[in-house]
Amino acid sequence: MRILIIEDEPDLLRSLTMALRDEGYAVDTAANGEDGLFSAESIAYDVILLDVMLPKLDGWGVLQRLRKTRKTPVLMLTARDTSRDRVRGLDTGADDYLVKPFDLPELLARLRALIRRTSGQTTTRIEIGEVALDTAARSVTRAGALVELTAREYGLLEYLMLHRGQVVTRTALYEHLFDEDDSTLSNLLDVHVSNMRKKLGHDFITTRRGHGYCIEG
Amino acid sequence: MIFRSIRWRLQLWHGFILLAVLVGFGFTAYRLQYANELHRVDQELQQRLGPVLEGLRRPLPGERGGPGGPGGPEGPRGGPNGAGGPRRPGDPRPIDGAPDDRGRRGPPPREAGGGFPAPREFRLGPNRAGLFEGEINPFYYVVWLRDGSELSRSASAASDVSRPDFIRRPVPTVRMRGTTRELYQFTPPGECILVGRSIGPELASLRRLALVLSALGCIVLVLGLAGGWWLATRAIRPIGDISAAAATIAGGNLSHRINTENTDDELGELAAVLNSTFARLEGAFARQQQFTADASHELRTPIAVILSQTQATLARERNPLEYRETLEACQRAAQRMRRLTESLLALARLDAGQESLKRERIDLSQTVRESLELLRPLAEDRHIRIHSELATTECLGDSERLAQVISNLLSNAILHNTSDGEVRVVTRSENDSALLVVADKGPGIPAEDLPRIFERFYRADKSRTGATGGTGLGLAICKAIVAAHGGSIDVSCPVSGGTIFTVRLPSGVR
Repeated sequence: MRILIIEDEPDLLRSLTMALRDEGYAVDTAANGEDGLFSAESIAYDVILLDVMLPKLDGWGVLQRLRKTRKTPVLMLTARDTSRDRVRGLDTGADDYLVKPFDLPELLARLRALIRRTSGQTTTRIEIGEVALDTAARSVTRAGALVELTAREYGLLEYLMLHRGQVVTRTALYEHLFDEDDSTLSNLLDVHVSNMRKKLGHDFITTRRGHGYCIEG
Repeated sequence: MIFRSIRWRLQLWHGFILLAVLVGFGFTAYRLQYANELHRVDQELQQRLGPVLEGLRRPLPGERGGPGGPGGPEGPRGGPNGAGGPRRPGDPRPIDGAPDDRGRRGPPPREAGGGFPAPREFRLGPNRAGLFEGEINPFYYVVWLRDGSELSRSASAASDVSRPDFIRRPVPTVRMRGTTRELYQFTPPGECILVGRSIGPELASLRRLALVLSALGCIVLVLGLAGGWWLATRAIRPIGDISAAAATIAGGNLSHRINTENTDDELGELAAVLNSTFARLEGAFARQQQFTADASHELRTPIAVILSQTQATLARERNPLEYRETLEACQRAAQRMRRLTESLLALARLDAGQESLKRERIDLSQTVRESLELLRPLAEDRHIRIHSELATTECLGDSERLAQVISNLLSNAILHNTSDGEVRVVTRSENDSALLVVADKGPGIPAEDLPRIFERFYRADKSRTGATGGTGLGLAICKAIVAAHGGSIDVSCPVSGGTIFTVRLPSGVR
């Protein structure tokens, strides 16, 4: 899952980035509205964390322009807590609204909920065959036994399972699993996929040559 | 309770005045009519007094009648033989005119009584008889002799008509007896003649008039009261509107206004004045709300930093460098909160007027020099040159607070400058004020932000970047301090670029 944080307060940006990377998200950052809008328009993020008070272009402006081209889920962050501000945020097209100061666990839970809702899931648990994935606990079990996965492998599996039954292109996988700082080697994906096949069964992930990967639901 | 209502008081006064006018008018009209009626009756009586007086004459020898029959009507009837005689010129018996004199010099009375003048004969002139006759004729007469005995009376005279008390003057006198009006006159010899009539019909018609007047008065009063009520209601209605609007505003709806349509009168002016007051109240309230929202926003941001930093870092084991970074971020946030709370407290004290300012004679240029010394490292760091033109400038004030203003303006000028730019600072006396000018060659302030630059938490740069470490309150504090000194602070951005802050303080030199 790839997330964009648009936040001008450097210390807050740093801690958010740290927390989200710890959670296995690929994180991009922008320190002002214009840069943030540019990134948000060019890459299909899974979620955008958007501050309201921003230099150059404020959060409302970013949201308004972004909604013309993309439906990316947006969670707004602001220190303004009047209900008028919240209503305005949600009406402008924000999917959720969190008032500063916030608790990181709550922010992470809201992000997971946003991602889940976008892919049509209603619970944190996705089961396909004998493989079960819990997005809250970030754990995967096969026939009841815990499967050890690296963060990258978990991210790949989560993305494929959330898009079960669909063919996910390699480009989409690269876009959603790696951030700007990652050096993306072209065969990295194949390595991850073959590792997961060893752990979850050879037929769990099918390869559509020339298209991408797929987990049959 | 009811008398506290303006409408009721208006109505009461209005009704009272109207009633007084109506009563006065009605009473006067009634009295006039009454006097008129009496006057008319008196004239009628006067007209009849003359003929009765004429009828009183000395009886001539050979003449009969008159005295023998005390009933007056016989007199006229008994004397047709002498009809027309008395007034004919050349008549040998001059009766009319001055019968009294004749009576005295004439032959002695026929029936003399103990030294009294002889009783006269009374005969009403023949063509005057109609004056007291007829079914509906209300007039009557009575004639008494000097001794009080009755000489003659008309048939219509009531039996209880008594002789009035003697008065010497021989002029007609009026008296009222019950509902009868009587006119009497004493002749010089002492006879008394009296004519009268009942004025019952007149009194009845006067009563009717009084009734009509009262009824009309009541109708006018009711109409007047109704009209007054309507007028008062109309006049009061805007007051009701005003009070309703004020109640709505007091209830919390600050954006409500009094409807001032169709009211160009005094109440309309009042409503306009109140509306502008309400608008200012609403503005002050909105500014206060904005200030609270801004202050909470400014305090929440560093708290958010500390919370997220610590929570993210504590989520798992970190290396010492990461811990260090987290602690540094928390320190920055804490310092930011300290600056903010200090600024807020300073402003609150200045607002409350608790900040007791010292009023000493100080040299402004000296204070500027001290501030410059403190800020020199910052300026050198940013390669800013400082040009100072510091003439000795006396003013009355608190050097510590003024130093705060000066260092605030100077650090703003240094921080919002082009690199390798310059800052010019000038102090001089001008007229009765001490002048401090701080000018920079920075990018300046957009024209639309200039008027609001001294507002609390207002930033020309809409984001609250912590880069400059400002709280957004610096200029507001400067303005509050200068205002507490009785001075003024202005900002301008010349077309040539840069920003110029000008502070004027009272020099205290008279």
